[in-house]
Amino acid sequence: MKLEMRRALARESYEEKIRKAGQLIALARAFPRRAAAHVRPSAPMILSESQIPYRTKRSKG
Amino acid sequence: MNEPSSAIPLADVLRAANGLVEAKLIEDYAIGGALAAIHYVEPFATYDADIFFIPADKGLTAGIPAIYAHLKSRGWQVDREHLMVKGFPVQFLAAQGLTEEAVREARRIKFDGIPAKVFGAEHIVAIAASVGRNKDIVRIEQVLQQADLDKILLEKILQRHKLKLPKI
Repeated sequence: MKLEMRRALARESYEEKIRKAGQLIALARAFPRRAAAHVRPSAPMILSESQIPYRTKRSKG
Repeated sequence: MNEPSSAIPLADVLRAANGLVEAKLIEDYAIGGALAAIHYVEPFATYDADIFFIPADKGLTAGIPAIYAHLKSRGWQVDREHLMVKGFPVQFLAAQGLTEEAVREARRIKFDGIPAKVFGAEHIVAIAASVGRNKDIVRIEQVLQQADLDKILLEKILQRHKLKLPKI
């Protein structure tokens, strides 16, 4: 996705973005293999947090 | 075991967190983690909510047993380290150091009319730099590209906590 489109999404209201994040969770659950095949920073709309490989031991932040 | 929920019940989480402040079980709180990042960048999937709090109880447990008891009495369920609301996992994390500063300096917002606080974009970047997992580096890149950052404030936070941004 082009950076301008991503910035436009970023400017939407927080409520709208949280609603869309919920839709992305549903998509990632419906198409888990497709999501796993897109583990790269340029595709964050499909990427889910749990699908990014950890580089170091998990700690919260 | 709860069925996993796709919708993010953030309003319920914030009402509960405000209730914890009113009950004096916590001093203050702010949304952190991925849900805080979404305040500043495009939406992305995340599977839990991180609420960082400043404990009212300064003891070793940070008042966590009382927090769990309070939320369980209001219908929340416990699944391992998470509290579950409407099937969505929520972690209440005692803030300290950089995260305590992030709570104290968090941005005041309203979500569906509910007052709340969310970590500032500069603190999100600094915390991600301090943790340094792959997903944190992705988060730093997203925030730097998409958010209106106060770069002077970010630099001050990084210096104060002896942090450096990773090479992206």
